[in-house]
Amino acid sequence: MNVVQAVKEYISKMIEESGPGMKVLLMDKETTSIVSMVYTQSEILQKEVYLFERIDSTNRESMKHLKAICFLRPTKENVELLIQELRCPKYSHFFIYFSNVISKSEVKALAEADEQEVVSEVQEFYGDFIAVSPHVFSLNLIGCAQGRCWDVMQLARTTQGLTSVLLSLKKCPMIRYQHSSDMAKQLAESVKQIITKEYELFDFRRTEVPPLLLIVDRSDDAVTPLLNQWTYQAMVHELLGINNNRIDLSRVPGISRDLKEVVLSAENDEFYANNMYLNFGEIGSNIKNLMEDFQKKKPKSQQKLESISDMKAFVETYPQFKKMSGTVSKHVTVVGELSRLVSERGLMEVSEVEQELACQSDHSSALQNVRRLVVSGRVADLDAVRLVALYALRYQRPNNSNLDGLLEDLSRRGVANRERKMVSALVEYGGKRERRSDLVTPKDAVAITKQFFKGLKGIENVYTQHQPLLQDTLDQLIKGKLRDNLYPYLGPSTLRDRPQDIVVFMIGGATYEEAQTVYNLNRTSPGVRIVLGGTTIHNSRSFLEEVGAGSLHGRVGERPPSMGRPATRR
Amino acid sequence: MDNGLKYSSTPDLVQKAKKAKDKFLKRDGEDNSDSGRPESFYPGGIDPLMWEPQELGARRSHLDYFKKHRAARIDHYVIEVNKLIIRLEKLTAFDRVNMESAKIRDIEQSVVPWVNDQDVPFCPDCGTKFSIRNRRHHCRLCGSIMCKKCMQFLTLALANKLTSASREAVALSHSPSQSPGSSRSSRRGSINSVSSISSILEEKVDERIRCCRHCSVTLLRREQQIDEKENVPEIVKLYEKLRQCMEKVDQKAPDYIKKAESLNAGETTYNLEHTTDTRLELQRLYELIDIFSKKILSLGLKDDPKPHPKTVQLQRMIRYASTLFVQEKLLGLMFLPTKEQYEELKKQRKQELEKKLQLERQVRYYLSTSIKSQHASGWLTATNVTWDMENSDPLLQQIENIKHFIQQAQQASRFDEICTLEENLRQLQTEYDDQQTQKAIELSRKQAEEEGLQREQIDRLLLQGQQQKKLSQHLRTRSLDFREVHASPQTSTTTTTQRFDRVKEPDLNTAQNKQRLLSKTQSMRTFHQPTNPTNLASLPTYREMPEANREPQRRVGSLNPFEDDKPGNPFVDEDALNPFCDESSRGSSPAKEFNDKGFSNGMNATNPFEGKEAPSNPFEDENLFLKPDEPQNPFEEPDSTNPFDTDDDLKAEEEIEEELLRQQINNIRAYIFDAKQNGRMDEVELLTENLRELQIVLAEQKCKS
Repeated sequence: MNVVQAVKEYISKMIEESGPGMKVLLMDKETTSIVSMVYTQSEILQKEVYLFERIDSTNRESMKHLKAICFLRPTKENVELLIQELRCPKYSHFFIYFSNVISKSEVKALAEADEQEVVSEVQEFYGDFIAVSPHVFSLNLIGCAQGRCWDVMQLARTTQGLTSVLLSLKKCPMIRYQHSSDMAKQLAESVKQIITKEYELFDFRRTEVPPLLLIVDRSDDAVTPLLNQWTYQAMVHELLGINNNRIDLSRVPGISRDLKEVVLSAENDEFYANNMYLNFGEIGSNIKNLMEDFQKKKPKSQQKLESISDMKAFVETYPQFKKMSGTVSKHVTVVGELSRLVSERGLMEVSEVEQELACQSDHSSALQNVRRLVVSGRVADLDAVRLVALYALRYQRPNNSNLDGLLEDLSRRGVANRERKMVSALVEYGGKRERRSDLVTPKDAVAITKQFFKGLKGIENVYTQHQPLLQDTLDQLIKGKLRDNLYPYLGPSTLRDRPQDIVVFMIGGATYEEAQTVYNLNRTSPGVRIVLGGTTIHNSRSFLEEVGAGSLHGRVGERPPSMGRPATRR
Repeated sequence: MDNGLKYSSTPDLVQKAKKAKDKFLKRDGEDNSDSGRPESFYPGGIDPLMWEPQELGARRSHLDYFKKHRAARIDHYVIEVNKLIIRLEKLTAFDRVNMESAKIRDIEQSVVPWVNDQDVPFCPDCGTKFSIRNRRHHCRLCGSIMCKKCMQFLTLALANKLTSASREAVALSHSPSQSPGSSRSSRRGSINSVSSISSILEEKVDERIRCCRHCSVTLLRREQQIDEKENVPEIVKLYEKLRQCMEKVDQKAPDYIKKAESLNAGETTYNLEHTTDTRLELQRLYELIDIFSKKILSLGLKDDPKPHPKTVQLQRMIRYASTLFVQEKLLGLMFLPTKEQYEELKKQRKQELEKKLQLERQVRYYLSTSIKSQHASGWLTATNVTWDMENSDPLLQQIENIKHFIQQAQQASRFDEICTLEENLRQLQTEYDDQQTQKAIELSRKQAEEEGLQREQIDRLLLQGQQQKKLSQHLRTRSLDFREVHASPQTSTTTTTQRFDRVKEPDLNTAQNKQRLLSKTQSMRTFHQPTNPTNLASLPTYREMPEANREPQRRVGSLNPFEDDKPGNPFVDEDALNPFCDESSRGSSPAKEFNDKGFSNGMNATNPFEGKEAPSNPFEDENLFLKPDEPQNPFEEPDSTNPFDTDDDLKAEEEIEEELLRQQINNIRAYIFDAKQNGRMDEVELLTENLRELQIVLAEQKCKS
């Protein structure tokens, strides 16, 4: 059930099958991301793969002394490009691996193009998804919905991605889906269709308790992706944006050239692996400890590391350390930038109000706080819009004059009309009408103290009170208490025992907060293994984009073309 | 901050030591007490113990289907090529230069029938109309017609090359024993030079064969194939050599590292000279790798035209990979000592071993004196102390463990590990000493009061003398039992139950609320020290409670196994761990002997033979006060007929809270730095306030105790 390892196994197998000698890896745009998530360049260099090429690149030279490993998605374009390649092969041998099911006719077309007998292998290896963490995968799809319906192409891609996850993990699951979401049902049926059609592929060793695929819809919990995050990974994504483990730091003031883009991968960065789920305060002190460790190794240095800028200076003044401290300087930079953003945008304050909105039920105080921040000049426009949106989701009622007032405040701030429309788009997307359950469960306010650090058990941090809805859903699922009428099974058979292997997929994108939730559930519930997937991994910005795109489509094309059930593309 | 740092680094040390422990004892998974630890100790998203390794996922091969369809196509292609080559052979079999053109035409037409001129009014390739000016030309290979523009020529040299290659292939297939390399390469050289020079520069029209574009393309592709088969590029040759060197390094390096480590540690297992040779060989290999990869890097760079950027990139990547390889492997390749150094090392090793032995002895002495002194002052039993040392204080336990590991590591000659362990040990000891001093100060305040109470207790005990005599006999064995618990955790449950069975018969009635308090402290304590076997003991205790409760007795202390040791108690001397009566108790308890031999320093420390009697240790007194403060000991509890019992428990709670508070303070301090750095002064204020509050709470707690 480790998706990173699953993809890695596939890639290693490909390289292994091609035997010794110099190799080139021939990929398309998507498989490039898939491979880069699990392998680093130096790691793959050790396996004699020296060149990485795109199949659609025109700049490739004929190098007959290289073997080509082709890892491609089975799209029409790729097959066409490959046919051309085989007619005039640039490499001596071709080991062809498709990331998903390919049709016989396409295989035949390829065979007929291979007049020079250069192809040594044609296989399907189902690594057709982005493995983000061992328990998290994504498909990097934004804008999968048009209104409340699937975009046909996206549904096909999502089905492919999801079935490839199941195949790579060797699971033939029972399927449950969120009853309130048509999209969830459609996807469930589409996946089921593939399983039925490719029954030979899904013929795995039976386990006592069959695995479970749970399909849920983002619109059921629109709050989570709107909140500010305080754990490392989630925070980096929220404030800087993680794109295939890469973080763009080029906008950071005074950044050095080699830190403009950094890679944060738990697979080969121990510090990150140990700290990705810790909160901001803990990271700060951990980084400090790390730096002090470095300092200790150099006995001569007397200087104290009092601040992050001191740390930066320290790293730079000791070139012999620079090599070793590549990781450290990276994290110091990232955390430094995070803390700069936090103070610049007043995010502590914003987050406190957000959490109050999400977890407590004192309307008047919430309203007061939101208004105060919306009017305040310190808060960024985006944050103001999010606060109003959260307020609208939380205290949704007809003709809410308070909301109108807040929207007016927004326009007084100079927030563009388009952005203000986001509020209503969000309510339309994740408002009560669409929700089956209560979005927020009020908690005992007394138990919450205003401590940033989780020191004592049971006392919560004011900035991390919120638990995503997924926590509750999965908790019930693990306990076998998830209600059948809300999450029905697809097909007649139901699961009698408590589920053990669970793949939960969120249409409309998951978040790193939910990734952490699943991580914690995995750690605390013995015998249960949960893998979380989403059409993408959202931060608030990309989520607003997704919602905006969906609602725009809905309005423009009145009746989106995907109303009927689309035929799944193989 | 210094203070804070020390605290925050302690869990790390503990963790390191734990890892080392697991390594040494080759334990896997059974240490599930770790589950209570913060998540930061596990890398990645998933607890690796929980999930089995991921196997290769499903896959499906289309190769058979692919081959089936390719085979049909290939047959077609091969037949076509062969046909052309046979015709080519016929066309080149006669002397073209000295023959009349009409005769040549006859021969050519006999090879392949020409298409009738009348049938083809337009050029099939470009569509122009044939006329007197635009004449028809026939392909000599397939007989088809084309115009002059579309017509192509095959040079005779190329024709020769193609035909001879196929002849060779036939010959090869008939006599595989013939060495193909020599004949092939020599011939290839001549052909290459002929085709490149003669074909381009000084060729007469007659020396070429007219053919159509289709035939030309097919034959040229065939030529390319032949070239590729025979021509091994320079980069491949170099690369093969490079890989050979790397493979050799992979074979030899691990062996060398093992030997060098041992030699550097001053051991005498391996021969120094022999190892030096291996080192030289490895170095030569690294040099070769460097040379080859540099050669690959510079291949063709001076040529004109410049090589394709992709070729350059490939060369650069190979060089980079080799550099990585050398860096990775060479870093582990430690230096060997010279002969003199080696002798020196051997001496050092001896000394070190002795030093360590001494250190251990000192520690034992230190511990045993403290036991003895306690015994002398007598308000806490020696048994108790032993127990405490082994179990209750996580720091102490850790220290003992680490010492034990060092010993093991010495035996296993893993010297780098010893270094880290020793470092750990030093830090832990400083930490522990500090803690002890603090506790001692706290306790000294209480001592005066307690002494009074003790006297009272002693009186009571004297009354119970007879009853306890029997009991103490029991208890001695019991305390030995407990050591067994350590030796094999499985037995612990039974032992504890047993213990409580016995305890039950006489009216052993630990007041219920005290018990509760106790188990509370225990569970709190487990938060810090999850391995603490106290847990095991505490469970049965709890279960016993209702029964114990039925006969509510005031005299809790009566059954305390350790109370025997009280100074006023007449049976003191019979205690198993009393150094003065050890001989006899030894005789009566083989279990103990076993433990003493087979067990860690923690055990040894209580061994009275190790201890020197002179109570010159300055810490002695402090230790003496410390011990009653260890509240995790369930057996200490009955001891607490004295009213301070509850106090003790309370203090335990406070102490833990104290630790958490310190952590909290630390964290907040770290955060204040950050806030200051970023100029969020309002936050700094808020946090400072929090900090102050916490510090006050901490101070209060200290005062209370």
